Amino acid sequence: MFRHTPLRYGTLALLAALALFKAVTADYFGLEILTEILILAILVIALDMVAGFGGMVSLCHGALMGVGAFAYALLTVKAGLTPPLALAAAIGITGGAAWIIGAICARSHGIYFIMATLAFGQMAYSYVFQTPTFGGDDGLGGIARLDLTAFGIDLNDSRTFALFCLAALAASYCAIVGILRSGLGRSLTGIMHNEQRMRALGLTVWRVKADVFGLSGMIAGLAGALAAQHMMFISPGLLSWKVSGEALVVVILGGLGTLVGPIVGAAAFVLLKHEVSALTSYWHLVVGVILIAVVMSRANGIFGWIETRWTARKATRRTGPADAPLKEARTDA
Amino acid sequence: MLDLSAIESGYGETQVLHGLSLTARPGRVLAILGRNGAGKSTTLKTIMGLLPTKAGRITLDDRPLPARPFDIARLGIAYVPETRDIFPSLSVRENLELAARRFPCANGGWTMARVLELFPRLGERLDNGGTQLSGGEQQMLAIARALLMNPRLLILDEPTEGLAPIIVKLIHDKLKELKSAGLSMILVEQNFGFATSLADDVVVIGKGRVVWSGSAPEIRAAEDIQHAWLGV
Repeated sequence: MFRHTPLRYGTLALLAALALFKAVTADYFGLEILTEILILAILVIALDMVAGFGGMVSLCHGALMGVGAFAYALLTVKAGLTPPLALAAAIGITGGAAWIIGAICARSHGIYFIMATLAFGQMAYSYVFQTPTFGGDDGLGGIARLDLTAFGIDLNDSRTFALFCLAALAASYCAIVGILRSGLGRSLTGIMHNEQRMRALGLTVWRVKADVFGLSGMIAGLAGALAAQHMMFISPGLLSWKVSGEALVVVILGGLGTLVGPIVGAAAFVLLKHEVSALTSYWHLVVGVILIAVVMSRANGIFGWIETRWTARKATRRTGPADAPLKEARTDA
Repeated sequence: MLDLSAIESGYGETQVLHGLSLTARPGRVLAILGRNGAGKSTTLKTIMGLLPTKAGRITLDDRPLPARPFDIARLGIAYVPETRDIFPSLSVRENLELAARRFPCANGGWTMARVLELFPRLGERLDNGGTQLSGGEQQMLAIARALLMNPRLLILDEPTEGLAPIIVKLIHDKLKELKSAGLSMILVEQNFGFATSLADDVVVIGKGRVVWSGSAPEIRAAEDIQHAWLGV
């Protein structure tokens, strides 16, 4: 069950302040990086909801993001739908696709679940790649951003779009927290701990898994629609298993099942990618070494490590250091 | 109420129950006794659909019992496992809320307030996590969670295992209250005194089949059966 702690609130406040500061002060390149972080953060918290709180480690969330992106692009560019309607439809379509994947994969566990979701992701990738309607290998361009000029907001401005993505991330985070704290979230936690027990309590386990996977897909679809608007161009590569794999790396790097950690992971991953790739084209190697170090340290990612240290420090403050009586004894002597 | 007829069941290739038959009657407590490995817990898991029935027939009110655990739960059969299975990252309140739903066959009008009245200790620990509870509190929570499903039949697997004598007495008193309220129960228990003081009917299981059946006063008098099959 997800619970906020002072550390989690503090980290969120710090991240929000940093994002706002960068959104106001950064140049064009900085704003592009910030937007990339924010969109990736939306995707990875959607993945953390199913993987960290439901034990459903998905390798199709990249594809779900791609479904959202292509749905938005097709509906605006080819079907001529207005961007707000296309955005709502893209979120709905991705949610529906995710619900079906979740319902089919719900009966499998562990490595079989991962492989089943990977298969769905690759099917989506191959279909989009080979279908001329989706632009094939060339992808689709000329994608319009939401028109909010009626509210005095111009999303074609990079700074405004970055702030819009920050608002979308905040809304997605609140939605996920709401889901995890609801009866559905409690059931999901119960299923992760003991699926058989939940069945004996009269719960339709596959339905809970499918519903949560569908909701997670909706948020991944939002990330996809924002990615399409950000780049104003999309290619089938967005649905590739590499995107799903990277999202999983980010969740593990940040801290699985912490919701705050994956946001930290998204920032660390994108910054590392840009900073290291400026020095060497082997940036994946550096990220790989860091990921291995994080996994080998047995901490639950960067944020998990911080949480463990924080808890230990708090416990030490409450009880005093373990060797305090010894030191006092030595002083007395 | 619940009839098991010539049941064969077990774990994978290992068969534990060999043609077991028994009947739980409405409004009564049936105690299933036997030595370790006799097949008591296997019987309960088979009833709950947690183990597949290889042969035989289980009926509830003369209708075949479905195979899937959630369908069985929805027919009003609640199960308190030996392991208690408290969800560790959920609080006491959340553990209870998880089970608080009303199925069409629900019976008994159990609400959160009523289970907390039965187990006041849980009311004091509502916001504590599942891992912060003592063994006795976990058992109370497991029983309270099952009651919130408003069952027609409550199945308990070794409810006193590992508990201090004072908690065993408390659990005994609470189950006696439930019995007085007319709740049907099946009880698997190693503690002979505990089981026979609660039960109306008793079956003794040995080597996966029923070797004796009768009433609680009868088993208390049947010293040869106690000696041969229960090691009392």
